[in-house]
Amino acid sequence: MMQIKPIFAALRRHKAGTVLISLQIALTLAIVCNALFIIQQRVTQLSQPSGLDEANVLRIQNQWVGKHSEAEYGPMVATDLALLRQIPGVVDAYSTNSLPLSQGGWSMGLSLKPEQRKSTAQTAIYFADDHALATLGLKLVAGRNFRADEIRPMPSKDTLRPSVVIVTRELADKLFPDGHAVGKPVYIVDRPSIIVGVVQRLQTPWPGVRWGNTSSTLIPLQLLTNGTNYVVRTRPGQLETVRRAAPAALLAANRMRVIPDDGGVMSFAQIRADTFASDRGMAILMAVICVVLLAITAAGIVGLTSFWVGQRRKQIGVRRALGARRSDILNYFLTENLLIGIGGVVLGVVMAYGLNLWMVTRFEMAHLAAQYVLAGVAVLLLLGQGAVLAPALRASKVPPVEATRSI
Amino acid sequence: MFAYYLQLGLRSLCRNPVLTGLMIIAIGFGVAASMATYAVFQAVSGNPIPGKSSQLFTPQIDNWGPNQGRSDGSLPDALTYTDVKALMSANVATRQAATYPVSLSLIPSDPRANAMVANGYATYADFFGMFNVPFLYGSAWPSSDDARHGNGVVISRKLNQRLFGGTDSVGKVLNLDGNDYRVAGVIDHWNPRPRFFDAANGSGFAGEPDFYMPFTRAIDLQIETSGNNNCSGGPVASGWSGWLQSECVWLAYWVELPDAAAVQRYRSFLTGYAANQQRAGRFGWAPRVALSDVQQWLDIQRVVPPETRVSLLVSLGFLVVCLVNTIGLLLAKFMRRAPEIGVRRALGASRSEIYRQFLLEAAAVGLAGGALGLLLTWFGVLGVGLVFERDIARLAHLSPALVALTILVAVIATVVAALYPTWRAACVQPAWQLKSN
Amino acid sequence: MLKMTHLSKVYRTEVVETYALRDFNIDVKEGEFVAVTGPSGSGKTTFLTIAGLLETFSGGEYHLDGVEVSNLNDNARSKIRNEKIGFIFQAFNLIPDLNVFDNIEVPLRYRGMKSAERKQRIMESLERVGLASRAKHYPAELSGGQQQRVAIARALAGSPRLLLADEPTGNLDTQMARGVLELLEEIHRDGATIVMVTHDPDLAARAQRNVHIIDGQVVDLSEEPRFHAHAAETSHGHS
Repeated sequence: MMQIKPIFAALRRHKAGTVLISLQIALTLAIVCNALFIIQQRVTQLSQPSGLDEANVLRIQNQWVGKHSEAEYGPMVATDLALLRQIPGVVDAYSTNSLPLSQGGWSMGLSLKPEQRKSTAQTAIYFADDHALATLGLKLVAGRNFRADEIRPMPSKDTLRPSVVIVTRELADKLFPDGHAVGKPVYIVDRPSIIVGVVQRLQTPWPGVRWGNTSSTLIPLQLLTNGTNYVVRTRPGQLETVRRAAPAALLAANRMRVIPDDGGVMSFAQIRADTFASDRGMAILMAVICVVLLAITAAGIVGLTSFWVGQRRKQIGVRRALGARRSDILNYFLTENLLIGIGGVVLGVVMAYGLNLWMVTRFEMAHLAAQYVLAGVAVLLLLGQGAVLAPALRASKVPPVEATRSI
Repeated sequence: MFAYYLQLGLRSLCRNPVLTGLMIIAIGFGVAASMATYAVFQAVSGNPIPGKSSQLFTPQIDNWGPNQGRSDGSLPDALTYTDVKALMSANVATRQAATYPVSLSLIPSDPRANAMVANGYATYADFFGMFNVPFLYGSAWPSSDDARHGNGVVISRKLNQRLFGGTDSVGKVLNLDGNDYRVAGVIDHWNPRPRFFDAANGSGFAGEPDFYMPFTRAIDLQIETSGNNNCSGGPVASGWSGWLQSECVWLAYWVELPDAAAVQRYRSFLTGYAANQQRAGRFGWAPRVALSDVQQWLDIQRVVPPETRVSLLVSLGFLVVCLVNTIGLLLAKFMRRAPEIGVRRALGASRSEIYRQFLLEAAAVGLAGGALGLLLTWFGVLGVGLVFERDIARLAHLSPALVALTILVAVIATVVAALYPTWRAACVQPAWQLKSN
Repeated sequence: MLKMTHLSKVYRTEVVETYALRDFNIDVKEGEFVAVTGPSGSGKTTFLTIAGLLETFSGGEYHLDGVEVSNLNDNARSKIRNEKIGFIFQAFNLIPDLNVFDNIEVPLRYRGMKSAERKQRIMESLERVGLASRAKHYPAELSGGQQQRVAIARALAGSPRLLLADEPTGNLDTQMARGVLELLEEIHRDGATIVMVTHDPDLAARAQRNVHIIDGQVVDLSEEPRFHAHAAETSHGHS
């Protein structure tokens, strides 16, 4: 640190190079901070648990073929479910409209009074029966499961009027902050539905919705439509066997159906991967860009510092002749780089927050957390010191005799 | 002289392979990152129906009111059956068509073959003329089919290949969900991306639809939408007719309005319609309507995924860093040759000749960077499937235009980056050498 | 050929003004071989850089080959350097990235000469300095004397009217220096005007005329009769 003043003097004579390196460090910091932040956000989102026994859950999409009256769908689905539950390796099965993370489903507002203007909480609606909890592996934390006699058919264009519902803990806490949801009525449309049970966690079909990631409601109704999803839970390790056996058994029992070739039978792991494909991809892209960007910045520092060392060989020789130790020369270049680096990160921090602010307004992103900026600053300063080490070492090896040579 | 400078440039580049390599790699990566993401961005943000996008409009009507409506105050992004029926029968626009997506099972004539799901749209005959749909065989069903709820159907080239072996199938019959339809026409490839006319259902970049059937017949057969339906509170009467009468929005509606006067007329018609609904007691609020053309609609629906914009932005930032890096390296490279420049100046090279020599050298670096960038872009385009949804990733490919653009961007960017270092080089005084001795 | 009258050159920094040349007068006739001598810091090199149009001057007049050069722009000055002047530097100043042939080619390229003519001139001038066999060598592969011969060949290739040499033998040992000097004398005999800056009295003695510079001004120590110069001019005129 003994020679900061002369370093500043030297840097003033290399304005362009100094400015370029600082600018590059600043831009890299701005991009890397924001990229790290985006990565973290995506990873958080895609690593949230759904509440399901994810490893053993399978979804089979079924579409009936031909003309049927709505009344026929109920018994047809019941027959299929009975068949599925018989397949070796199957723990349980039920029929529903949607699953967590499947990105398609039904959402409604819940109210505490029948003629409330604005609903109290928004919720995802999952059609279910008494087998749903066992099939999904949901943990009941209060109240009870649906009883078989509570399950009713519902024609597809009818109004949603379940007599009882099971809600998630997040939703129960939102509706009844006192913690006593079981036994209380809520209104989906116009009739009261009594909360009979509370499950610990069940994500909505849309990850990242603002009104609540796990605000879900299970209703004891069987939707009568020509298409449905069968959800099957298998014994551990039996997923692949059931995945092959189940559609074959369904088709053997009744050919007048379509189980799409593409995505008709999917494990929950596949649903998760599909839903988060773009988030994962974004995280990968950002990571790749960060790594390459840091590498290029390091290369730039190496290149420009090497040039400076080459340019100052004679000067270095003179210093050595005048008694500078190798470590003095090494320190000179390390300190010089540190000064440039500090200039760069100061500018970079401003740019990082500026970029983030702009993205907040344009792309509805969250505000940048300080630890990412600090991490970025540390990474770039260390990177600079690392990059300058090789040329600085080369400079320290310039022999004193260089002072006597012309050019 | 050009050849001489080029030769000099290449020789100089070979003299410092490490520095040159660094520059080429920096430019290559910078250009590749921006080009790969640009390819995706361009694919998703392009005009799906160029030449006609400013004549096609979709209306929105506030049928929910301030209390039941969306919390952010935006209008419903689809129409009710009630409103669509009224708009269709008013017949104010040059062409008009209501549309909703349907998903039906296709029952093959061979009883041993498995059934399949076919995705299509229920719409009106005007749809095809309004959207310039190209026909391989036949044409749209006659508009009389709309009126008498006929069973004409228009199928895609792909479905025609699958069902009829690609022959002219006009007049032939196919069975969807147990009902027979007569083929009126076969569409040659047509899949505007983003699919503006169904943007509200998030199918912006899905594969080509299999078929189109008359809207009136689909309603008769009580075929449900395979897209979204949004019902904002309020009791709903039971059954299909209750559904049709409800305030649930689920239908897209497009009109063709050839000029500004027609647009103005249609706007006032919409406002008048909403005012009538208010007078009739259906709406308890003042008319609130909107009319958007294709681009406006795509913006409202946020069809372009934010991922593509963010990654384009990040890649552009990346390119800028690579260029700053290149400026630094070029400066080092050029200034290292200050003695040479001094000698050349002393031997009679004018400043402009120094400019030419060094900019050409930079252009050579840019060209090499562009070549590397092209290779990396190719990998990048292959890799966009990792980052973006499959539907979108499919759209990005290395077209000749993208190849040309990649090279062009690389060369121009490098030459721009070289301006400052070259200016510095040209400033080297011819006397420099004598003085320093 | 080269005439400076009341010429001055001031170097200005933030603190001081330094006169490198002050009321400087010199007249070099066509075909003369003039040695410029003087102590270190007297302004010899400044004179040479101004004479070679490498640098501008602050006041006075400078006629080169009858042309007043103070008002010429950079391009015009480059053209004159390229066509009329040949430089020989103390440090040779060959471009290390180019081989001997390509180094000599540099000024010819800027003159826009055709390839065949360039080649012919390069080979001629290389033969003249006795290095025809080294055309493909790089400067680093040659001895100091050979490098200076290449530099002279480069200066000669463009057939300049005026040859400016700055301590041409300063970096060479005695034997090599003699060779280079003999070459210069031969070139002079062939009709070129030569101005050579040196601090070596032996070297200066071999020139036709000596000009001594002290503190940026010419001090004419020479008792040489003028007819030498006129004779040289006349003989040039007859040849």
